[in-house]
Amino acid sequence: MDEMKAAPAVKLDTLSDVNDLGRPWRYEENGLTVTRLSPWSAPGCHPTGCGLKIYTNSDGKVVNVEGDENHPVTQGRLCVRCLTLMDYMYNPARITYPMKRDPKYRGQDDKWERCTWDEAARIIKENYDRITKQYGRESCVVFVGTGREGGTFNPYGSVMLGTPNYCYTQSGYACYIPRLAASSYILGAAYPEIDFAAALPKRFDDPAYELPQCLIVWGKMPLASNGDGLFGHAIIDMMRRGTRLITVDPRMNWLSSRADVALRLRAGTDAALGMAMLNIIINEELYDKQYVDYWCYGFDELKARINDPEKGMTPEKAAQICNLKVEDIYRATRLYAQAKPASISWGLAIDQKANGMQAGQCILDLMAITGNVDVPGGNVLGDATTGLNEVGFGFEKGVGDLANKMIGLDQYPAYCNLIMNAHADLMLKALETGEPYPIKFGFYAGNNLMSCTSAEPKRWHDAIVKSLDFCFTIDTFMNASAQASCDVFLPLAASAERDGTTFTHYGASMGIKGFSQKATTTGEAKTDIEACYYLGNKLHPEWWEEYANSDEFIDHLRLSRKYKFRDVAKEVYVQDPVTYRKNECGKLRGDGKVGFNTPTGRIELYSTIFQQFNDDPLPYYEEPQYSPLNTPELLKDYPLVLTTGARPYAFFHSENRQVPYCRELNPDPIVEINPKTAQKYGITNGQWVRISNQFGECVEKAKITQIVDEKTVHAQHAWWFPEEEPSEPHLYGNWRSNINNLVPNFHFGKLGFGAPFKCLLCKIEPVAENYDTDMQLVWNKFKREDQ
Amino acid sequence: MATQYGLLIDYEYCSGCQSCEVTCKESHGYPVGKWGIKVLEDGPWEIEDGSGVFNYNFIPTPTDLCDLCADRTKTGKEPLCVHHCLANVITYGPTSELIEKMQTKNKQALWAPQFKPIESKGEFVPTKKSNSDGLDEKKVVIEENDDWSTAAHRRSDDDHFEFGLVE
Repeated sequence: MDEMKAAPAVKLDTLSDVNDLGRPWRYEENGLTVTRLSPWSAPGCHPTGCGLKIYTNSDGKVVNVEGDENHPVTQGRLCVRCLTLMDYMYNPARITYPMKRDPKYRGQDDKWERCTWDEAARIIKENYDRITKQYGRESCVVFVGTGREGGTFNPYGSVMLGTPNYCYTQSGYACYIPRLAASSYILGAAYPEIDFAAALPKRFDDPAYELPQCLIVWGKMPLASNGDGLFGHAIIDMMRRGTRLITVDPRMNWLSSRADVALRLRAGTDAALGMAMLNIIINEELYDKQYVDYWCYGFDELKARINDPEKGMTPEKAAQICNLKVEDIYRATRLYAQAKPASISWGLAIDQKANGMQAGQCILDLMAITGNVDVPGGNVLGDATTGLNEVGFGFEKGVGDLANKMIGLDQYPAYCNLIMNAHADLMLKALETGEPYPIKFGFYAGNNLMSCTSAEPKRWHDAIVKSLDFCFTIDTFMNASAQASCDVFLPLAASAERDGTTFTHYGASMGIKGFSQKATTTGEAKTDIEACYYLGNKLHPEWWEEYANSDEFIDHLRLSRKYKFRDVAKEVYVQDPVTYRKNECGKLRGDGKVGFNTPTGRIELYSTIFQQFNDDPLPYYEEPQYSPLNTPELLKDYPLVLTTGARPYAFFHSENRQVPYCRELNPDPIVEINPKTAQKYGITNGQWVRISNQFGECVEKAKITQIVDEKTVHAQHAWWFPEEEPSEPHLYGNWRSNINNLVPNFHFGKLGFGAPFKCLLCKIEPVAENYDTDMQLVWNKFKREDQ
Repeated sequence: MATQYGLLIDYEYCSGCQSCEVTCKESHGYPVGKWGIKVLEDGPWEIEDGSGVFNYNFIPTPTDLCDLCADRTKTGKEPLCVHHCLANVITYGPTSELIEKMQTKNKQALWAPQFKPIESKGEFVPTKKSNSDGLDEKKVVIEENDDWSTAAHRRSDDDHFEFGLVE
């Protein structure tokens, strides 16, 4: 990026002519100070960086939050999680000063004591020095989740603790990274995002833009999730302009109800559908022959594979596997292949199965052979200079040769090397067994893995509590994980209290660079950048000498020292420069040559890298480990397909449950059951239901709805109850409605990726108990002082 | 009537995000259990069995606590539900203009809300002093009634026994 200049706003037609378009990053209005910023976390969210206007009074306190119409993509629109930002920041349960607790009282809420940052840092340092002296720095682990800035904040591991074991704790890293890996290996670019004109100055009306005629939304509900920085409602902006939809989802979600073809496949069978679509496009010669000829490697092998009588896939066979009508597969495929341009928005469902790398491979192949890669309105890429934010940052300095000790690196290099993370499942094993070496020191970088991220959460709980001599967290609220296992709690700043950046797609695609300068501060809360700078200086001052202050750390970490944060932050939203067809002008490769950033220089339909990692270079289909076709013997006990984790608007994973206005939208954990299925098992609407399988059980509240078919139930994830008893063993009711009790670890694919969060078996039965949330209690406990 | 204002809802594209509900509660201070606008959900239900085509509509519906953001609209700005709607499906304006916009596409609904409709009628103010105003006093001469009988009985029917007052 050469120039950092504020993106021009594009006014919505519903916005009044009296508005704040053209305002500077900070201004005064009616005695209040208004700060425009581009939030990330906390509360957690994807790096979408929606435009915010934060109104503060003369005491510096936030009194109003509105959407900023100057943001070229969000245009003033905001979801409930930012609309309730004040209720989050000024929630009576929020923790805004450091706390300590004697490790012998872990799990006891009344044993926390307030302390200073300096005392907290002294305790952390004493334990760090003692433990690393005995066990080495590799005995430290950083637990991370999704959506907080800490979730991808590599320096916490590399130059704060000096450990190779930065670890996203979801089995098989079953979120985003499998797609990123497939894309990096096959396409040579981090992430092909749909082109919603985010970085074009005139957006959809920009002369460089073409509207996709067809968009496949595959295993994704971006309207609620805004996954990876795709502002989901941009899809509605595109639908209004004429884009036709195809959806691939077991649920009849709202987007599916607007689709030309809604492929309601059996959960976990995506790779079969993908191969069948490739089959139709190749055999009906609907592919872009010239594009394939110029830019793709291994087309003949792919053609042979999809027509192979054993490993191949006909549409008819896929229809049987996926439980779809074969004519719907034909209809959808022809629509996608004949639309120019066309695009595919692929989602989390791809990651949440062992066979997900192959599903992802099929989807990338579909984009490639139809000639829709990096063209206007297709799936667009970042250039050779973009990566995934700060992956690898500080490793050379802080980790060095210790990197070789990263848990899982030997067995799963395709995973660990790519994302510089310890392998989640093998970390669990290390915590349980001390093999290959003991894990003794832990840090949650804004992560509540026991409520949300981890499969078999009680197993993780027991392993962490048993293995770690010392553990601390940085967070905004007490949660089950911290309550059970932490000895120091550090207060984390919320989004409006933060100096920092938000790069959509973690910087991996052509999007928007958002900047925030704090509108206010609360208590003693620090941002991830400030906390890392502060603790890094305490634990390893020798690695931090190059920064005079935390701003210089931002300059290095986020801006590669090409810009000064304070200089560019006043622009608030900056669009990346847009170049389409970068493969034609050498912008995708480090060597500047024409082609793609892969070993063959082409999009590898036959993946030489998969082959190097001893996986099949071509797509293949495998059933989910537990499924009606794979384990019919289990059906007498567990007759239903279980899929989990569809996102509601009210919550970001385990967050926002103590925000009354969010909780009111979704007071109880919901399991969706088809009316006929509910009748069969004697379940009425609103009744509590026990969901169980061979791995565990939980209770959720029935919503009787045709959103799922008769063979499938969908259960919400990440439930805990911040209004309930905090101490062990109740731990905020953490185990009662935790659907991850039913999800096993160690069920990933050959390269180490994937976990069956969305494709398991279960049974359901009504229970007599009523666990309905008392919203009056939630309101009284968590409303703001002034409410 | 003064110029009537309303909300035009393009419910073809309402995704049910409920930003309208929450921004309204935040700005008006409506507690848990009270709303100024509420998103009603209809579906999904299959239109013809086996067709795979479903009815699934969300319809934002102003309540009796919707004041069309009076404090805000008087400064010339649009209501907050309009400002924050993620799908951009709510338009504010005089209903005379919104009707024209409504005619440009289907699947729209037009609301002209009334804030606190009972209270908006105002306190009861009597407008007449007496219902006997204008009656000629001389015509009002009341004498005793010797022929009283139970009013429930038909007087002219000889087959009926008549009760009089018990003396």
